[in-house]
Amino acid sequence: MKTLKLFSLIAILIGMTSCSNDDDPVQLLEVESVTVSNLFAPQIGGVDQMGNPSPISGEFTKFDFSTGQVTTSATEWDIAFRATSIIINGGVSLGSTDEPERTGDVAAYIASGTFASIADVESSQLGQDSGNGYVLSDWYTYTGPPTFLITPTPGKIIVIRTRDGKYAKVEILSYYKDAPEDPDAFMDEERYYTFNYVYQPNDGQTSFE
Amino acid sequence: MIGLSQSDTEVTHDSLKVQELDEVMVTATRTVRQLSSLPLPAQIIGKKEIQRINSQRLDDLLNEQTGLITVSEFVGGAGIQMQGLDSQYTLILIDGVPLIGRSAGTLDISRISVGNIKQIEIVKGASSSLYGSEALGGVINIITDRPKDAGFKSNIRYRYGTFNTHDANINLNYKKEGLSINTFINRNSSDGYQFANAANLNTVDPYSNYTFNTKVDYAINAKTNLLASARYYLQDQEYAPTEDEAGEITINEWNTQFKLDHEYNDRWSSYFEFYATRYKADEFLNTLEDNTFFSNSDYNELLIRPEIRASFAPNENHSFFGGLGMDHETLNRTDFSTNPRFNSPFVYLQYEGSPLDKLNVILGARFDGHSDYDSQFSPKAALRYELNDKIDLKGSVGYGFKAPDFRQLYFDFTNGFVGYTILGYNAVNTKIPELDQDGQISTIVVPISEYNGALRPENSVAYNFGTTFKPFSRLKFEVNLFRNDIQDLIDTRLIANKTNGQGIFSFYNVNKAYTQGLEFNTSWKLNNEFSISGGYQLLFAKDKDAQNAFKDGEVFARLSPSSPSFQLTEDDYFGLFNRSRHMANLKIFYSIEKWNLDTNLRGTYRSKYGLFDTNGNSYLDNFDEFVNPYSIWDWAINKTFWAKYQVGFGIDNIFDFTDAPESETDLLFVGNIPGRIIYTKLNIQL
Repeated sequence: MKTLKLFSLIAILIGMTSCSNDDDPVQLLEVESVTVSNLFAPQIGGVDQMGNPSPISGEFTKFDFSTGQVTTSATEWDIAFRATSIIINGGVSLGSTDEPERTGDVAAYIASGTFASIADVESSQLGQDSGNGYVLSDWYTYTGPPTFLITPTPGKIIVIRTRDGKYAKVEILSYYKDAPEDPDAFMDEERYYTFNYVYQPNDGQTSFE
Repeated sequence: MIGLSQSDTEVTHDSLKVQELDEVMVTATRTVRQLSSLPLPAQIIGKKEIQRINSQRLDDLLNEQTGLITVSEFVGGAGIQMQGLDSQYTLILIDGVPLIGRSAGTLDISRISVGNIKQIEIVKGASSSLYGSEALGGVINIITDRPKDAGFKSNIRYRYGTFNTHDANINLNYKKEGLSINTFINRNSSDGYQFANAANLNTVDPYSNYTFNTKVDYAINAKTNLLASARYYLQDQEYAPTEDEAGEITINEWNTQFKLDHEYNDRWSSYFEFYATRYKADEFLNTLEDNTFFSNSDYNELLIRPEIRASFAPNENHSFFGGLGMDHETLNRTDFSTNPRFNSPFVYLQYEGSPLDKLNVILGARFDGHSDYDSQFSPKAALRYELNDKIDLKGSVGYGFKAPDFRQLYFDFTNGFVGYTILGYNAVNTKIPELDQDGQISTIVVPISEYNGALRPENSVAYNFGTTFKPFSRLKFEVNLFRNDIQDLIDTRLIANKTNGQGIFSFYNVNKAYTQGLEFNTSWKLNNEFSISGGYQLLFAKDKDAQNAFKDGEVFARLSPSSPSFQLTEDDYFGLFNRSRHMANLKIFYSIEKWNLDTNLRGTYRSKYGLFDTNGNSYLDNFDEFVNPYSIWDWAINKTFWAKYQVGFGIDNIFDFTDAPESETDLLFVGNIPGRIIYTKLNIQL
């Protein structure tokens, strides 16, 4: 356990240093690296303890990369969360209750790699929500018994083209409130997203460096 | 139960007839063979050892053997892991016929009392050429005792120990001329145990159970023998999976076996056998708060097997053995799409012989037909060559398979806590359209047309190469190298998404895995009073697809939830869950004959192993948390008074090893080792 903590400390330090960037030409805005903690993405309904499913509903929690803030705007959003479902403001609605209309042309994909290793956008991989499902559905691992945890799968990095044509990459770190060291599906409050993202604020720039 | 120790009747081959003093087994070839002459890795645990270590149940006995470990599953009780293969891949027989009741794949061997056992025969390596399904990793055959001496004899044995555990045995034996009758009664009960922080699931709830077994063996004449056997097992166990519910699990099991043997002449013999067994487990749960019904689950499995066998020995160097039979199986179970019924005919043939003086050969094959999955052809070949008096070499290659279980074919289950659904392979075609009509499906991921075929049995090719070296008659070294190449392992995958946001999963053949390693055994009998033995197993058990994923750099890990992920290399892949790379045992037996006293000290070691993925990449890698290595030491002493009375005392787990959870969120602990157990035993021979 002690070594684990030491490792994580080192990893955090590495993570912090590797995200700071410099040397950009003067006219470009600086690439931002931000951590969002405890973005709450509640849901109504689901399956009760007896296994009876009830209809799912509830507003998605929307996020706007240009402001770096949660928003309730009907149009000014890029990505939105409801429990484990993540949708983007682009493509076709799956038609679930309270699912917002797609008004933008946001596109995204899940890349495989470390957060730092995703240096550029692979435009050919960009996709949108469709009748076949959400393009960002495969971001977590459900551990099943005995821990019943929702774990962000390591190495899954979301790459997204925002509604105004900028790019961001996102690494989801935790689904539980305050990103606990040893999450407990029975004790910790779920549906609280913690994620890191890097936002490229310059038009048309596909590089995250 | 069942049977007859076939050793007494199925002797077909003069050259193979051996003295009773020598260890003989029937499991490897279904004919009587001297253990040391077999070309396969095999082992016998005798009654003497069982009695001297004061064993009660099969799980604690097998745990002390090299390369075997009882692994407690989250559901399904304690199963046995052999050559790194899970417990569902080892066939468990009593007197040559199989036990059933694998509701979640595992056969709970703690339900088997060892109070009436003559010996336990263990054959490692795929043995489907004789036994068909489940004999993929190997076979464990429990041979029950039969009356030896004429007249009426009885034996009472009682053991009491920690956790208020009682084990009472009565053996009644009668023998007169051709007739022998054995009746065995066992009652076993315990208050169980619980770790302070453990989820209730993982510790043992209070239980009591009974085993009744009667066997009648009658020699109609010198050439014809009839056997009838019946066994009944009943267990009641409290059931408290969480703090809010309580209930009970009741297990009812019966087995009956009839067998008629006839020897036509020196060359030909035949055996008619009829076996039937039913395993029934009923559980219910009530909510504690208002004592209302919460859930129930029933399992009711039946197996009926008529079988004819024949042996033919044209001369003393060659013999043939074959069989023909049919399995009829039914299952009624909660959460099933249907009540399945199977009929599977089978036929097998085996040749045993010595084409050369120092060479012994076994060739065999079996065909299992089936309506619901692909039919199977299982060949096997084994050779043993005697280099000289001290050294032999043996090798075998065999095919093994495990039929898809009822769950994998017919499950129709929706998880009560999360809401996902699991469908058996054969249920997909009917259930998906139904759910779709209900409006419960949002998207279909795998088209149901992929479920038009049949699920293939999991299968493996096993290779074993070994040598025995006996520098003196009292000293023996054995080495066996093994590899099991497994394919078509059945796993679950997402086939559709539900409108509730959860998935529908079903089974499919996907994984390839292997287990390989080395087993080493040595025994040294210093004199009649002192003996020492030791064993070691080295094991690598890996999923081939996982290994490739690591190799291709597709696997990542993170050290804590707030740290970024990093890439893993091939060396970071540890292997399958619940496998220890190193396992070892040491046993010292000492008897002082002039005092009628014997004592023994036994130790087992298990190196670290992982129980589940702790860092979110679904693989077990070097950055996961592991269960720490441990060793357990047991000591026993027994003294006999006036020939008929024996008093025993012992301590299992002398150093009181436990690995209990440190907190309620600590799930990496050893659930099946409760700590030190102190017991006394009384045995009366009448």
